[in-house]
Amino acid sequence: MSFTITCPICGKRNLYEFRFGGEDRGPRPEETDLTPETWAQWAMMNDNVSGIQKEWWYHRDGCGAWFTVLRDTCTNREMENGTRPHDAENPASNGQGRPYPPFVDRL
Amino acid sequence: MFFGPRRFWGDNPFKSSYEAVIIGGGVHGLATAYYLARDHGLTDVAVIERRYIGYGGAGRNTAIVRANQRTPENVRLYSEGLKLWPELIDELDFNLMFFDCGNLNLAHSEAGMGAFRLQVATAQFMGVRSELLDAKQCQELVPLLDISDRPKYPILGGMYHPPGGTVRHDAVVWGLARGAWARGVHIHQQTEVTGIDTADGRVTGVRTTRGNIRTPKVLIATGAYGAQTARLVGIRLPIQVLTIQAMVSQPLKPFLHHVVSSGTYHCYCHQSLKGELVTGAHMDPWPNYTTQVTAEYLKHQAEALTDLMPALKSLKFMRIWSGLADMTPDMAPIIDGNDPVEGLYLDCGWGYFGFKSGPITGRYLARFMVEECCPDILQPFSLKRYRENRLMGEISTPPNYGPWN
Ligand SMILES: Cc1cc2nc3c(=O)[nH]c(=O)nc-3n(C[C@H](O)[C@H](O)[C@H](O)COP(=O)(O)OP(=O)(O)OC[C@H]3O[C@@H](n4cnc5c(N)ncnc54)[C@H](O)[C@@H]3O)c2cc1C
Ligand SMILES: [Zn+2]
Repeated sequence: MSFTITCPICGKRNLYEFRFGGEDRGPRPEETDLTPETWAQWAMMNDNVSGIQKEWWYHRDGCGAWFTVLRDTCTNREMENGTRPHDAENPASNGQGRPYPPFVDRL
Repeated sequence: MFFGPRRFWGDNPFKSSYEAVIIGGGVHGLATAYYLARDHGLTDVAVIERRYIGYGGAGRNTAIVRANQRTPENVRLYSEGLKLWPELIDELDFNLMFFDCGNLNLAHSEAGMGAFRLQVATAQFMGVRSELLDAKQCQELVPLLDISDRPKYPILGGMYHPPGGTVRHDAVVWGLARGAWARGVHIHQQTEVTGIDTADGRVTGVRTTRGNIRTPKVLIATGAYGAQTARLVGIRLPIQVLTIQAMVSQPLKPFLHHVVSSGTYHCYCHQSLKGELVTGAHMDPWPNYTTQVTAEYLKHQAEALTDLMPALKSLKFMRIWSGLADMTPDMAPIIDGNDPVEGLYLDCGWGYFGFKSGPITGRYLARFMVEECCPDILQPFSLKRYRENRLMGEISTPPNYGPWN
């Protein structure tokens, strides 16, 4: 199974044209008074969302643009532009998706 | 006479309190339960498994065991782990089919040979058998290897580690489950932990789909779901969850007597005792929680295998499956306890390395959980190493092992 990613410039293309760039971690913390804890939290820790997350992609074999996408990590589907993580599927969630991924066995 | 299938362990009532609860019925969870009971007489223990034991990586891996990792801290643990298999077969009275056929890693560049030189030196320093081979010696071990200049990445040499090999993964799960259950451990399948309760910085219990359990000790051994489980108590982990695919071919007569791998080709294989070629691929380069398989990887495997061993052309794959790998930035696990929550223990982030280390880690974790003091051998794997900038350098790439590597 493969899936598509929509580049804002080139449109919907095969996943393998892109490079995954990490989940969106928000702005880089200010360097003044930065503690190792805060830095490690930002640079290394993840939310590991099981559900819809905002993430960076790079159109490596295309126009070279970096952009963000909303994708459901439990189905690999892109979400409509404008869907906020906590809108879809689980209105009560805090934007971190389901506490546990559903069973998607396709073996 | 045929009596029908029989499980190796039995059912027990679901109690509302246990002295320890282990979340996750994989090789790590079951091994810890087994050693809690065997070594420490702690038998009032429940293993809670969302689906069935072995559902996770424990039942999906390619069964390779070895102890020639890159850093001394890792080699020490894996080496003890490797020596444990014969002992375990004996005491569990269960045939784990340990086959110490040796592992051969191939290098296709001077840089690759350089990395192996370092790795071999570490192993030898730690008393683990490992040696550098030239291309000719590799071919003596595996006659089907094409060591000419024809392959896309010609073989320059290899790293040979005789004591490694394979172990039957399902047997390990079943054997440990039987051993733990026979000593009084309760195994509750089809039960999901949905919450972990704390009070005054201590664990007080877990919530499950079958009711709440009071307990002062909880081990998170949920494999690829470790980051999800840790988040139940607000702990974030540096983990990326990636799909990793594996496949087996039709059975052939014995032709491959070692585990062969190539980092450059992102491909490894060995021949099972049934004759199938068991092969694994690199991880899918984006995080997700599916167990989807892709045509891309089948094609990749076919190309890689036939480039290395052209005689395999026309070999047919029979089945393909996948599991999840919980990758950390330094490709070493996260083993911790009592920090920041008293009574809460973590054993995750094993990535695609964690089968071989299951029983040995379980043995030390059991001690950790009873004595509440982390054994030396597990100390390097604490979660705080990330904020202390003590990443373990298990790989020679920049210290951020993620989908992009
Ligand atoms: C394709 C593939 C090949 C691999 N090859 C190798 C190899 O050759 N050698 C090697 O050493 N390692 C290999 N690995 C890695 C190895 O399989 C894992 O690291 C190892 O299985 C981890 O064991 P575990 O016990 O920590 O987790 P798992 O075996 O994944 O067990 C975790 C269990 O927790 C359960 N669970 C999750 N959440 C909950 C919850 N909330 N409540 C209750 N239960 C829950 C899951 O259902 C699962 O059964 C491979 C992995 C894959 C996917
Ligand atoms: Zn583009």
